[in-house]
Amino acid sequence: MAGKHLRFQGLFQKYFFVLFLAVVIPLATNGISEAWLGYRDQRTRLEQLLGVEARSAGAKIQGFVDGLTNQLGWLVQLPWTEEPDERRRIDSLRLLRQVPAIVSLTLLDGNGRERLYISRIGLNRNESRVNRSADVAVAGARSAGIWYSKVNYYRDSEPYMTIAMSGNRPSVGLVVAEVNLKLIWDVIAAIKFGQTGHAFVLDEQGRLVAHPDISLMLRGTDETTIAPFREILEAARRTGPDVATSRNAEGTDVAVAAAPVTGPDWTVVVEQPLSEAFKPIYAALWRTGWLLIAGAAFAGLLAYVLASRMTQPIHLLEKGTERIGAGQFSHRIDIGTGDELQRLAESFNAMAAGLAESQERQERIAKLKRFLAPQVAELVDRTGDDDVLEGRRTEVVTVFCDLRGFTAFSARATPEEVMYVLSEYYDALGRIITRYAATLTSFSGDGLMLLINAPVSVDEPALRAVDLAVDMQVSVQKLIVGWQERGYRIGFGMGLAMGPATVGRIGYESRFDYTAIGSVVNLAARLCASALDREILADATVAEAVRDRRHVQPVGMRLIKGYDKEFLVYRVAVAERPEAS
Amino acid sequence: MRRRDALAWLGSAAAWTLPVRAQSPAIPVIGYLAPESPGPFDSRLKAFRQGLADAGYVEGRNVEIEYRWAEGRYDRLPALAADLASRQVAVLVASGGAPAALAAKAATKSITIIFEMGGDPVALGVVDSLSRPGGNLTGVSSLSVEVSRKRLEFMHDLRPAVSSFGVAVNPTSPTSGSQVRNLQTAAEALGVRLHVMNASTEGEFEAIFLAATREQAGGIVFTSDPYFAFRSTQLADLCFRYSMPAVTQSRDFPMAGGLMSYGGDFAQSHHRAGSYAGQVLNGEKPSNLPVQLVTKVELAINLKTATALSIAVPSSLISGADTVIE
Repeated sequence: MAGKHLRFQGLFQKYFFVLFLAVVIPLATNGISEAWLGYRDQRTRLEQLLGVEARSAGAKIQGFVDGLTNQLGWLVQLPWTEEPDERRRIDSLRLLRQVPAIVSLTLLDGNGRERLYISRIGLNRNESRVNRSADVAVAGARSAGIWYSKVNYYRDSEPYMTIAMSGNRPSVGLVVAEVNLKLIWDVIAAIKFGQTGHAFVLDEQGRLVAHPDISLMLRGTDETTIAPFREILEAARRTGPDVATSRNAEGTDVAVAAAPVTGPDWTVVVEQPLSEAFKPIYAALWRTGWLLIAGAAFAGLLAYVLASRMTQPIHLLEKGTERIGAGQFSHRIDIGTGDELQRLAESFNAMAAGLAESQERQERIAKLKRFLAPQVAELVDRTGDDDVLEGRRTEVVTVFCDLRGFTAFSARATPEEVMYVLSEYYDALGRIITRYAATLTSFSGDGLMLLINAPVSVDEPALRAVDLAVDMQVSVQKLIVGWQERGYRIGFGMGLAMGPATVGRIGYESRFDYTAIGSVVNLAARLCASALDREILADATVAEAVRDRRHVQPVGMRLIKGYDKEFLVYRVAVAERPEAS
Repeated sequence: MRRRDALAWLGSAAAWTLPVRAQSPAIPVIGYLAPESPGPFDSRLKAFRQGLADAGYVEGRNVEIEYRWAEGRYDRLPALAADLASRQVAVLVASGGAPAALAAKAATKSITIIFEMGGDPVALGVVDSLSRPGGNLTGVSSLSVEVSRKRLEFMHDLRPAVSSFGVAVNPTSPTSGSQVRNLQTAAEALGVRLHVMNASTEGEFEAIFLAATREQAGGIVFTSDPYFAFRSTQLADLCFRYSMPAVTQSRDFPMAGGLMSYGGDFAQSHHRAGSYAGQVLNGEKPSNLPVQLVTKVELAINLKTATALSIAVPSSLISGADTVIE
């Protein structure tokens, strides 16, 4: 039972795992590949987004710088004369008012002499005519058109820059402007994306030019302040246009992208915490993970239900076959799955029914064989009805035989000797009875009664009965030779009669016998009783039936016990005993 | 013996719990120290509250403000600052000039002080450095003190033919010496003479105008000083009465009928001071907040007053002015 239980468990586990894996593997493959592709898509999107933000921030800062140079361009369009230029002074003052970032302006004529200096803080100078050709800014503007100084930090705090610009011809002179870069703050603080994404500007040395946190911006030269920004710049430079990851001043991992600002040679860096930038990615991954877990749970449930439904009928089949195997042919396996298993169960049921039928038949045959010749019994069984065994009146040949002197012998002989003799005797007779397909109705001790032509009709019943009798007599006589050598005085006589008799089964429950009732039976029995050793006596009907074909001679009229008239009795000739005669 | 121990223990427990409750109130309290009365400070306070709101604080909702007004008597500032310090406010805002900042600095070494002033906080010894202020204070400085020479220049532009100008100085101001030196240098460059006049109380204002008139000064240049800045109305009235052109640091002056002003944008400086106070409430250390300099210096001109004074304002001045009152 434990083994069977284990086998059941094993099948269930197999089904369960196969079904589970069949659902989970495609699900997981799909989920993981989708997550991976989604991750890549998101990552690309993020890089694009950060790249766009970087370029946009770069464009805004570039716009701030270009706006300054555009404004300065107005001051270097008209040529200088030796006279003071009041118009240009007013223009400069207006420019100063218009552009708050410009702190001071110096206008130089074509010879590099200072013609005008105006400032928000210091005193203005008019026509000082100091030659400033040697200034770096002047030289730079003369060679490059527009010259940007490095960022310098006023009292280590506020970032300033000098922009110098020359006109398109020498006579219009140059303008040198001092710019307070703190005003970029308005621009840089307005650059926001995502939740905390922001931008900052570094100069070519990695010093902070602008940052949304003005506190950091005012400490742009402080090494400890700008060290993380330098690192970010390095990371951004290494990866080029792609998104880089680095760590910011707060120790947060950030995704960064950079864009250049041409002119002052700055870099605009946009920065977004990785946790925020990758939030959609992580959210998608979590979602996929949960879906996978839910899918796996569902698959498990499904697999459990399916495996149960598959193994239950198998279990039923197993139980059913066990019971059928144990002989309970009436057991029926009830499976309503509507598939091959149901068909299998139905065929099992059919098999059980067949087995029951077969067993019933076997039992019936066994019963029939008790009094019918085996081949007759088979025949009766094959035709499937035992109507032949029903009572009816028919023409039969009745054969009786018994041993002479057996009662006296059995009284003297030991049981072993009696059984030996009977064994040899029935062995010999049985073979002949079977060969002639005679019906053995009864035997008691040394006597037998046989029927020919019932229950199964045969051709020439009388002839067959005579041949049977002769064979039996010859066979027994051969045995008698052996017995007489042992000193047993035993003979063998037979009687045959033919006529109508009532044949059929008699008895109760399972104890049925097939027999014949009628005067022909009595006649045959009386003939046998009156027959001597080695004698076969037959009535006139038999003799008439085999006349000319077998050697039968009348032995005269005899009075038979139980009958009030004499009968003509015939003796069937038997070949002489080979040795004894 | 035991009972005395228990009592002592109870007493110490009470003494221990009380200050704790006072130190960490549910709503933080800002101590606001100002040298004047609420009236002239109205526009400044508005800017200050906007700055606080930038950092997420709204007065009456998640922050309380304890005001201490010196009502123009600057000698009261140290006592008021000490009072605020003793109340253990979360942050002490000293606005309206160097005197308030210095008084606050003297009052506490532990409470964070946010100052708002016109002078150079390093030169005045308030902080060590602009980028790394150090200590417990930081704040905002407008450029008003530095640009007092520009006022002389504008006055000279306005009246180029005049060779002598009066300069009004508050001798009690810590920046008066440097401002006068600056002005003297500028006067030499411009080729004008200066007549320096002192006034540290309202009662002395009249004397300034009398002296300037007597000296036939072409106009009065007021040095940067909160005392002058917060009395723009009185000064404008005196100018009108004496028909005296004058320039001060505060925009309030031309608004009140004075001729001209040039100085740092106080709205900006107070706004930033409010923002810094909010950041300190949010837990920022003052040493991480660099001293901010206000970038905007504004020129305001009242053309009506100029017309009344029969002064033709040159177009260069008008074009450079941020505010022109017509």
